[in-house]
Amino acid sequence: MVALPDNASAALLTLLEREGRPRVVWVTREGEAFAMASGLWAGGATPVVLIQNTGLLESGDALRGTAMRMRIPLVCLVTYRGYASLRGAGEPAPPVDGALLGRPDVDSVAALTEPTLRAWAVPYEFLHEDTDIPRLRATFARAAALEQPVALLLPGATT
Amino acid sequence: MTKDELLAPLARLRGPRVVVTTMGLVRPWARHSDSPLDFASADSAMGHAADFALGIALAQPARQVVCLNGDGSMLMTLGTLVTIVQSGARNLVLFVAENGTYEVTGNQKVPGAGRVDFAAMARAAGFPRAERFRDAATYAEALPGLLEAPGPVCLVVDVEPGDETPLGRGPRQDASYLRPSLADSARALRAALLR
Repeated sequence: MVALPDNASAALLTLLEREGRPRVVWVTREGEAFAMASGLWAGGATPVVLIQNTGLLESGDALRGTAMRMRIPLVCLVTYRGYASLRGAGEPAPPVDGALLGRPDVDSVAALTEPTLRAWAVPYEFLHEDTDIPRLRATFARAAALEQPVALLLPGATT
Repeated sequence: MTKDELLAPLARLRGPRVVVTTMGLVRPWARHSDSPLDFASADSAMGHAADFALGIALAQPARQVVCLNGDGSMLMTLGTLVTIVQSGARNLVLFVAENGTYEVTGNQKVPGAGRVDFAAMARAAGFPRAERFRDAATYAEALPGLLEAPGPVCLVVDVEPGDETPLGRGPRQDASYLRPSLADSARALRAALLR
């Protein structure tokens, strides 16, 4: 797992470090994660990326030029900072415009996460609850079938 | 030194090493080597050859990986120097070919040209070996030992600016590793490494 921690992923990464498997490799900036994951795959491994949605936005050219351009089957776990500020359970996301991005009660990264993934042609799914965990297998299968990265969005913190 | 003086000794010694090239060294390397273990980080994302090479090194710990990076590319992801050391990879040799320019875009000066000390940066990041070479003879003499040294190793080599043009891919490219798409190149390298 190629990772850069945040509050929401802290518990998961602490567990993985204690268990030792899968191995966690740390990056200094999220764009590195996609290039390194692409190299891991070219080297025969099965990488997973774990980053926050803020870092996803930082990663644009690295994601485009490595994992997407190389068509790497890659599951990317993205913690969804600000999800609760954007919409309640089951509510659709409001349209994104300058006014929304400036609203102090909305975390602007949350407003941009899904539109950005759609613009970058990265399919995404949600992992809301523990009961969604079996979806992980399907997400790996989807990334393999599409031969490209697939994002799995985590609106809640790992515990 | 010239690019040929940088690359020829490496081509003689590379053996089963993976070699990842980028920017102004992609085509020159292809004049010295035509191996299924060569990979051009071209039509990709500038600045990400070293972290891509690190991924290969981590997946293939028994095989050495060489990355032929440039100074402009290195500047884009200086944090990768820290990431490499933090990863624990011992099998990565990172070259920084320093010509002080963004060669393929017209040799504009890179920030800090002539002042930045990449070898010192690598040592400060924790590289156990980081050397700078200014002349071809000293470099050629030291290279065999450095390729065998416990890594990660960073070799900063002063090279003359050249006249390489922007990189493309496709069937009419002279360099054979630029003929497949980037995706097909990644699959070919994976197949070669898993063979």
